[in-house]
Amino acid sequence: MKSSLVGQAVILAALALLPAAGEAIYFRDKISWRSAIAPSEMVTVEQARGWGDTAIWVDARPDDEFANDHVPGAISLNEDRWNELLPQFLALWAPGKKTVVYCSSLSCNSSREVARRLRKEAQLSDVFVLEGGWEAWLKKKR
Amino acid sequence: MKTAEKLPTINYQLSTNRRFVWRIVDFAVAGIFIYAGALKAIDPVQFASDIDNYKMLPWPVSVALAFYLPWLEILCALGLVFRFLYRGALSILSASIVVFTLATIGAKVRGLDITCGCFGHASQNWSFPAHLTTNLAILAGLLLLSFKATFGNRLQNSI
Repeated sequence: MKSSLVGQAVILAALALLPAAGEAIYFRDKISWRSAIAPSEMVTVEQARGWGDTAIWVDARPDDEFANDHVPGAISLNEDRWNELLPQFLALWAPGKKTVVYCSSLSCNSSREVARRLRKEAQLSDVFVLEGGWEAWLKKKR
Repeated sequence: MKTAEKLPTINYQLSTNRRFVWRIVDFAVAGIFIYAGALKAIDPVQFASDIDNYKMLPWPVSVALAFYLPWLEILCALGLVFRFLYRGALSILSASIVVFTLATIGAKVRGLDITCGCFGHASQNWSFPAHLTTNLAILAGLLLLSFKATFGNRLQNSI
């Protein structure tokens, strides 16, 4: 095909859109375009509050922020002191309990990482990330 | 006279062998990209997370790229195999490997503990030098093929 280099590149770039669009439709329920957490793994403040005593609140923020203030009853579990804090969390955990992990806001990543590690390394199910994090909790508290 | 008659046959044989060698390079480079693209295409959720780890793009852009880039790689690799839109495929693959290499270096400089997206999550335990060496080796193959595609006849005659 005797088209220019740029022309060829544009054709290839355009052709790749087709399977990509198909895959995006196929995976629409497994990935969220708004945040890095799948919709099924997120929970709102209202929903998590509704779980009452069956929920364990996990604060994934750094120690100083946890010490400053946190959700009542929450325990600290951050990646900086993972090995030290994980046994304390597991001592509280029991089958049937739901784990709600939160960090500072909608844009922070630590709650997602802590939730991922709890599922993968501690083999826990029913681990959720709080939508909006600590900021959302404060707003709902007012 | 007899030797002179044989010369065109020998030249033809040499040219066929060279073409065969270049096709092997085509297939090797294409194979790498098809393998890497397929690994990422089957798990776009993980690849989006890998892109996000570079902390360079907003999440929706990472998701869009996670769906798009693997197919672009596979399509360009097929372009190399079937010599379809060949030079365009080479330029896209070269550009993508350069961007990935620069992003990997940038992440290293910023002290990020990243998972290279090159081979999906399969390459998560690769060291930084391993990432860099792999990328540079692939880039060398691509540049060689680009050089051949541009100056093919002159190169063939000089060998």
